Parts: sequence; C-alpha cells; structure tokens
Amino acid sequence: MSDTPDRAAVEREIRSMIAEAARLDETFVAELPADADLFGPRIGLTSLAGVALLGAIDRRYGVDVAALDLSLDSLQSIATPSDFVAACLAVRDGG
Amino acid sequence: MSGTEGFDPDRVKCVVWDLDGTLWDEIAVESATDALPVPRARMLAAIDALAARGVLSSIASRSAPSVLGRLDGVPELRARFLAPQVSWQDKSESLRAIAKDLGIAVEALLLVDDSPYERAEVEALLPGVRTLDPAEVPALLAAFEGREETPESRARVHRYRTEETRRAEAERFQGTREEFLRWCGMRLTVGAATPEEIPRALELAARTHRLNSSGLTPDRLRELAGSAGHHLFTAAMTDRFGDYGVIGAALVDGTAPAVRSVPLLALSCRVAGRGAAAAFLFRLMERSRAAGAEEFRVTLRPTDANLEMRILLRQAGLRRTDDTTDAAVGAAAGAAGAVLGRSLHGDLPEPPAWLHVSDREDTEA
Repeated sequence: MSDTPDRAAVEREIRSMIAEAARLDETFVAELPADADLFGPRIGLTSLAGVALLGAIDRRYGVDVAALDLSLDSLQSIATPSDFVAACLAVRDGG
Repeated sequence: MSGTEGFDPDRVKCVVWDLDGTLWDEIAVESATDALPVPRARMLAAIDALAARGVLSSIASRSAPSVLGRLDGVPELRARFLAPQVSWQDKSESLRAIAKDLGIAVEALLLVDDSPYERAEVEALLPGVRTLDPAEVPALLAAFEGREETPESRARVHRYRTEETRRAEAERFQGTREEFLRWCGMRLTVGAATPEEIPRALELAARTHRLNSSGLTPDRLRELAGSAGHHLFTAAMTDRFGDYGVIGAALVDGTAPAVRSVPLLALSCRVAGRGAAAAFLFRLMERSRAAGAEEFRVTLRPTDANLEMRILLRQAGLRRTDDTTDAAVGAAAGAAGAVLGRSLHGDLPEPPAWLHVSDREDTEA
C-alpha cells in the first residue's frame, strides 16, 4: 500500500514521539544518533514516559508493542522501536 | 452500576459525595446567609469511618463554584475532602476531574447522590462507576467492616492532602521540573520490613495494579515471607511536604545460590513519576550484589494494567530468561508468567540525582 510510511519516515515520527513522551526538545531528539539509549542519560525515558510512548505508537500505527513484545526488547534505542514498527507494518502489508 | 449488590470494596479508593440533599438537607446556594448548611451527622460519621479504612472522600456538587470558597472557610469540614468539584458541569465530568487529580482510575470512584438523574447520568457515561442513594450508605459501610485498619490506611487521607499541597507548590514553583524535584528533598529508605509494616506490605500487594509485577496474592505473600530464605523489603518515602510512609514492598527469595529472585515487586502509584519505583528496584539489585549474588530475577505476569512496571523492569536491564520452570513462576504467575533476569556484574543503573536513597538499619539482603 502506498500510504504505509517507510522505515525512515517511521523513525522520524518515533523520534518526535520520544521527545514528546520524555519532555525533550524535538530538534534535540531529531539530531541524536539512532543508537542513543532510551533509558540512557541523553533521553532518560522513565517508566511513565515509556507508557506514553507506547500509547502514541499504538495510536499512530495500530502496533501494540506491549502485547507483541513481552520483555519489551524493542525498547532499547531510537532505532529499535522504529525497526519493530516498520517490520510490523511490512508484515501487515503482506510485503 | 447502582446499589451495593456484588460490591467489591477493594475496587473503591474514593467515595464522592453530593452536597445538597446528600451531605446536608438544604440547598447551599439558596441559604440567606453565607453560612453553609449543617452536614448530617451520620454522613460525617460515614466519611470518618471510611477514612479509617483508607477510603478517601471527595465532593461533586452541581452548584455555584462560590460554595467551594465557603467550604474553605470551615477547615474541619474541608479537611475531610480531596479534590472537591463544585461547578455547573455534569457529574460525570466532575468525577473524571477528581480521578485525574487524585491519580486514580475513574472506576475507583463511587458516587453517593440523592438525585436519580445525577446517578443515571454517571452510570450512563461512566459505566464502571458505582452509584448509591444516601439511604444505602449503611450497606456501603458494612461492606468495609471486614477490612483491616492499618496505620497506613488511617493516614491515607492525610497523605493525599500532603500530595495536594505538593502539587500546588509545583504549580507555583519558578524553575525547571528537575530543580523542583531537587528542592522537594525526596528521601527513600529501603530495608527489611518491620512487623508493623507487614499489613501495609500485604495491602500494597492487594491494592496496586500499575506497579505490580506478578499479582502475587496477599495470602501467598504472607506465607512466602515467613518461609526460609525469603525476605520482605519495604521502601518508605519522605519529602519537604511530609511523610508518605511505606510506598513499596518486595519479596526477595535468596534460596538459590548466587541468585536473588523477586516473586513480587509492588509500589503505590501515589508517588509515580518521581523515580521512587526505579530507585527501590535499583537498590534491591545493589543489595543483592553486596550479599554475594551474581544474578537478579523478577517474576513478571503481564496484565492490562502493569505496563509501567514492565517498562521499569526493562529500564533496569531485566530481560527474558529461558528459565520458565523456576518454582516462583509456577507459584506466583501460572502459565502466563515469565522470569526476567540480568547479571549483577558490571554497572548497575542509578536513581535520579534528586532522589536521596539510603538503607535502613539492617544488614540482610
């Protein structure tokens, strides 16, 4: 389907969701390396902010990370939830 | 839901009282003077009896907001209520606002209102909320009769009031969120549960959902806590506004060599968003390492409510282990549970800088 966002678009959007959830400046998060730790000093995601992030991802893509990823392995860096969502969207598209 | 049939007292954290025709006989805005009507003695007695069992009270009145100002002029009456809503808006909206202010689910509220219209409005828009006619208050009290009165439950109303003050200060504070958190002077102490703290630990096991790792029942917790090699830990918190008491409990199983397992970690969401839950977990990991353990494990049973706990465990670096035959899983979580674990070698995560964490006087881990 043509309206499925590609991997790069997903990561851009997820960076903005991370900024919103962790109450950080959007430009700051946009410029971090993709392997920046979500729970590390630069992003400092708290458990409460993590709930907000997964809620935003579910609302935007219909991907319920909490239900699909028991030990939340996809919550590692900026890249990992982006990979997870892009993979889910690709499967849904029958790609 | 109306009436008390099938009523589960553990679901109710706050009773919301209507004013005119419920708390008192008259209609406050129609009185000739600025004085408030005199509350019915049996309603005040009910509010106090509920407070002794840890149930909060609030107000939802469809009336002039100025009535709230007049209520502030009667401190001994005002002190009984948290997050009161007096306005012309729908009661369902008032209940939503109360739940948000208190940081609890709207389903944890119960409305007492003499108006069938208001009860029906709330039942229609908030189907999870139970409503009662004032005549049903004795039945409500009877439902709570069996509940244990702990020092914690008696102090709960006071603690929520402290939290209200803290929130008002936070709104006035000039500075960043981090500066505010530093200024609060938060102190978390972690130690083995004293005998007086055990009822509170059991209460946390029964009443927490968002920050509860496994749903281990209070009965099972009591049994395991008394068995060989198991230790029950608590975390207590204070800040410049007051004492929050015991806000977390954890059962630690030290029976396997070199491994510390946690069949239950439960924290009150009263102090959510301030790093206390993470700090308690990190301190348990440090203490386990100091006691010679090499691996730290937590039993997790995911529910619709405990995502925040799962993210906390992920934040602490706990990942899924293959050890699904661990005795704790079978006992605590059944087939749907998992054991998460991590090595205690290398760097352990640290709590936020604004939170002062210390051990209470004891040595076991």
